[in-house]
Amino acid sequence: MYCHKVRPIKTCRTPIETIFICMSCHATFRMLALQLSSPGLLHTSYKVCAVPFTRRNFAAEAKVKKTYARDKPHVNIGTIGHVDHGKTTLTAAITKVLAEAGGANYKKYEDIDNAPEEKARGITINASHVEYATANRHYAHTDCPGHADYVKNMITGTAQLDGCILVVAATDGQMPQTREHLLLARQIGVENVVVFVNKADAVEDKEMLELVELEIRELLTEFGYDGENTPVVIGSALCALENRQPELGANAVLKLLQVVDEYVPLPKRELDKPFLLPIEGVYSIPGRGTVVTGTLERGVIKKGDDCEFVGHSRAFKSVVTGIEMFHQSLDRAEAGDNLGALVRGLKREDIRRGMVMSKPGSIQPHQKVQAQVYILSKEEGGRHKPFVSNFMPVMFSLTWDMACMVTLPQDKEMVMPGEDTSLTLTLRQPMVLEKGQRFTLRDGNKTIGTGLVTEILTATEDDGCNWG
Amino acid sequence: MSITYLFRSIRTEFSKVCNIQYVQSLHTGCPLLAAEKELLLKLRKSTGYTFVNCKKALETFDNDIIQAETWLHEQAQKEGWSKASKLEGRRAKEGLIGLFVGGRAAVMVEVNCETDFVARNEKFQQLVKDVAFATMAHHHVKTDGRTGYMKSLLAAEDLSKLNLGDGASLADQMALAIGRLGENMSVRRAVTVGVPAGWFIGSYIHGGVAGQSDVAMGRYGALVVFQGGKDGAQGILGRKLGQHIVGEAPVSLGNMDDIPCGDAETRLLPQSFLPDPSRTVAQYLTEQGARVLDFVRFQCGEAISGCA
Ligand SMILES: Nc1nc2c(ncn2[C@@H]2O[C@H](COP(=O)(O)OP(=O)(O)OP(=O)(O)O)[C@@H](O)[C@H]2O)c(=O)[nH]1
Ligand SMILES: [Mg+2]
Repeated sequence: MYCHKVRPIKTCRTPIETIFICMSCHATFRMLALQLSSPGLLHTSYKVCAVPFTRRNFAAEAKVKKTYARDKPHVNIGTIGHVDHGKTTLTAAITKVLAEAGGANYKKYEDIDNAPEEKARGITINASHVEYATANRHYAHTDCPGHADYVKNMITGTAQLDGCILVVAATDGQMPQTREHLLLARQIGVENVVVFVNKADAVEDKEMLELVELEIRELLTEFGYDGENTPVVIGSALCALENRQPELGANAVLKLLQVVDEYVPLPKRELDKPFLLPIEGVYSIPGRGTVVTGTLERGVIKKGDDCEFVGHSRAFKSVVTGIEMFHQSLDRAEAGDNLGALVRGLKREDIRRGMVMSKPGSIQPHQKVQAQVYILSKEEGGRHKPFVSNFMPVMFSLTWDMACMVTLPQDKEMVMPGEDTSLTLTLRQPMVLEKGQRFTLRDGNKTIGTGLVTEILTATEDDGCNWG
Repeated sequence: MSITYLFRSIRTEFSKVCNIQYVQSLHTGCPLLAAEKELLLKLRKSTGYTFVNCKKALETFDNDIIQAETWLHEQAQKEGWSKASKLEGRRAKEGLIGLFVGGRAAVMVEVNCETDFVARNEKFQQLVKDVAFATMAHHHVKTDGRTGYMKSLLAAEDLSKLNLGDGASLADQMALAIGRLGENMSVRRAVTVGVPAGWFIGSYIHGGVAGQSDVAMGRYGALVVFQGGKDGAQGILGRKLGQHIVGEAPVSLGNMDDIPCGDAETRLLPQSFLPDPSRTVAQYLTEQGARVLDFVRFQCGEAISGCA
């Protein structure tokens, strides 16, 4: 039993747990806040007896963590294609073929179902999600029935698609709306499309398959994809499912997976990006200095790294002199870790929740952005009335929130609940924002929308004046 | 098949490249010759019918592309019907509201399909336009020589009997579109209004698709019938009222002197006016010297509750 003088630095994932830091030996502890449930806790220091987590405990925890870490890189993939061309059958066939190799649980056609409704961040999306793994990768596979569902998926971030399989039945060829499918793929930022020409078993004349392929390549080119080099696999999902004609069935499905493995590049891993720590709390520890806490959004922080604080109209540089996580002082922390970082030469008052600590120069504050936003319907808990330009909700992103002003696109006069739209958002003050960043919009105590920054705009003098 | 015909068509229709391919495939003895392939691709491109059907048409008519095309069109009608009956019962809740105002008459229609992909397709939009015009024509025939305010709501059964300009029934046209686009579709409802001199029809379409046609299309639509307004400003007034109706979804008209009952107000006149919430619709109308007599609001895919 050691005696430590501790003060809380952070509330853990479960609200009743709090991380404490010892002000003399600098060890951190995790304890149930119930034991010390005084609201004044955060501002006073306590002398308590606590057993620091042992190395063994820490190791056990690390092991638990490891089982979550995937041993294969993860890729999000979707199927698009005409109603009835066999998207669901293909998805079932993929799991069947991979199940035989141990890479998936076989999901029957009926289990995949016709895109059940699900709720992501309170938003209803019609989507079926299936998981499987090839020898090289782990895939999450999304199938949505409509354009709006894919757009909602993109905005809410449940599945940013890294690639798409376009399913075309050989019996029909591309349908008139295949154009809309490709337009959508472009719109949601899918750069890699692979084609599966399905129902090859139902076409007697094999040369016709070539024509289907030819035509689809032409269409791909027309939509700005590399039609000439896009992989096209011909087969039959139904044969794969029914164990018939393996060359069209199981083998074609395996070939398709191999092609996807090779053609769809891996998304850039969060770990490889410059580090970003949205600040949740700031504490000063006498004799040690200032500690900032938060969950590392991306990248890796190491002890001794240079860092920069940005946001709330301030910016200054410092150095990370210590990293603590789960009651332990560490040399490094990575994306997803919940940590406290000791920084040199800064006072508690210098830093505020809502700022970020980042690799110097990697991120800037901005005041005006273009965004793709989904406005929740009344049923989803959103507004029940439309809004027009100059509407002023509060924008929440990372750990900050800031009032913002909405400007509708030129061709729109109002936005109805349940719609997705592009919007220009001007913040009262510049905050850390970058392309691809997600946020929510709230009005009063209601979440009214969620969005994704698509472009950074330059704020003009006027944008500043509007706020008076 | 006639070899002379083949060679003729190669000469007239295709480039040298095809010629070479043709010779090559003759040697390999594949079932589909290069020239036939070209024909097949060409027929498919010009008609949009499925590969399987285009091939069958060419086989039946010995590669005579003209006869094949005629046959395809006939077939499409038949097939459309069979496909339509096959797809019947599949949920069609997406689609578009189409709205057309011509002089003192206006029409608003709702056409449904299964996915919003199809709603974005121009073939579908053409269908919405056809439905709107057919309904308008029907309105003119029915109201010919009559004056006064006329409004009629048409349900799906009434609409399918309407005829298009070329004599085909709307139902035939629907079947054809179903055959082409491969989704279940239906004309769900329509409303037509005709107003006497001195009255105006305002309209608004929301969530519109960039239409090149004179029929405005989108996910929501409103028609509003009013009198008065400042001269020359009736267009804008009608549009603002239409926008309000789409946005605030009133269910009844109410009276000019109704007391507003807050946010949940469902009567049009006491509602606070969407483009300027500092006053009610009634107050705004008084300022403009206008009077609203009637309105209709369509939202695509909405449950229809006893619409009068
Ligand atoms: N002959 C043949 N039929 C197939 C093949 N793949 C799918 N089908 C059939 O095509 C029909 C439609 O297949 P689905 O997998 O439901 O198509 P989908 O694209 O998921 O359709 P939606 O979910 O409605 O968009 C079913 O009757 C399948 O059995 C195939 O390879 N060959
Ligand atoms: Mg399906």
